[in-house]
Amino acid sequence: MTCEKIIEQFADHLTGDLDEKSLAEVQAHLSSCPSCREELESLSAIWTKLGVLRLELPGPALRQRFYSMLEAFKEGLGEEEEQKASIGERVSAWLGNLMPRRPVYQLALSILFLAIGLGGGFLLTERSRTASKIEVAALTQEVKDLRQTTIMSLLQQKSPSDRLMGVSWSTQLQQPDEKIIATLLETLNHDSNANVRIAAAEALYLFYDHPQVKDGLVRSLALQTSPLVQLTLIDLLVEIRERRAVEALRILIQNEKLNPRVKKRAELGLAQLS
Amino acid sequence: MEEVRDGRVEKLAVLFERHQVMLYNFFLRLTGNRNASEDLVQEVFFRILKYRKTYQGQSKFTVWMYQVARNAHVDHLRKQKPEVPLDEQFTEISSTETLPAEKMDAEIDVALLRRALDQLPLKKREILLLSRFQEMKYKDIAELLGCNIGSVKSAVHRAIKDLGKIYCQLQGGITL
Repeated sequence: MTCEKIIEQFADHLTGDLDEKSLAEVQAHLSSCPSCREELESLSAIWTKLGVLRLELPGPALRQRFYSMLEAFKEGLGEEEEQKASIGERVSAWLGNLMPRRPVYQLALSILFLAIGLGGGFLLTERSRTASKIEVAALTQEVKDLRQTTIMSLLQQKSPSDRLMGVSWSTQLQQPDEKIIATLLETLNHDSNANVRIAAAEALYLFYDHPQVKDGLVRSLALQTSPLVQLTLIDLLVEIRERRAVEALRILIQNEKLNPRVKKRAELGLAQLS
Repeated sequence: MEEVRDGRVEKLAVLFERHQVMLYNFFLRLTGNRNASEDLVQEVFFRILKYRKTYQGQSKFTVWMYQVARNAHVDHLRKQKPEVPLDEQFTEISSTETLPAEKMDAEIDVALLRRALDQLPLKKREILLLSRFQEMKYKDIAELLGCNIGSVKSAVHRAIKDLGKIYCQLQGGITL
């Protein structure tokens, strides 16, 4: 084999990536070619010597900066998605452009559409109107009942993630009945998992105009032991400006075992409410 | 990386933890500047996030990452002031008397090698770093640089040879 062919293999020889056959060929050549042997020896020497350059560790600030960048990016991503949601606005702007500029034409176009709509609607629904109304109402009720039953069942599951799902579903109800409110309050007061309790508090906040809710939230404050749940409740009570919470906050602050952060937040809440 | 691309950006933390030290050392050996190297690592991960949707998944993640890294380095060079040579930044041997002779030799070796690497032209230094320190196979480097594997091998060969020459010259210039 020529020197040229052998020299081509040197790079692989350095990294140890030569297969057995090629290695044998290179070695056979080297034993009879001093110049190639010398070249490989000097290459290997410097290649090996480079091993004395150890890896350096970057400073701790790098990690810190990376994680704050990642956080900031995640938040930014949320906003991006919100922007995507405004596609509807863009579509309506585009439709707006299609609208004729002169008011007379605009009026004519509206009347035309109105006529088409009314005529079409009349023809289509005349016969089935009454029947479909009843049907839709029945279906809506059925869906609502089904959803409530599912929520009740989820809230009683053993797994906290199921119960969380139940809480989350409950927030989609327009007007939850008393049974749902009572179960959510029960979850808030007695669920073994703090995250589920926090979720229940937040769900109840959405229905704060329901008669039982405000009272339930105020009373729950005395029952909670987890600082996170306490903080959530205080925030919510301040948010809905519930004056009846003043007394509950006073009692809470007097508790000597209370977490200092919760105490601070409760004092602030007290000042905000009174 | 596929997960990062598909929206689970928090997974980037795994990639950061896996590659930050290697990337930092890559930049440190290219720029000779610790602060700039940290900035560049940060820049690489920022770009990975920004351009995550362009990751095709056909090539290895490291190939793609070093592509981003090289671009970031090129941009850095454009706006950079004259650089401080690498060896000036590392701790100088303060007192020769306190060091045992062997250790002193090793320290000088390290300083000399760093200086020699520093004098190697950028393209050669880069290819040498990729193959020797960044755990990249020749075929990955070829993909990264957009050339064939044969040219990568001969470029590595030449880079090592040149580095050896520079090192020898520097060694000749030092009085022990």
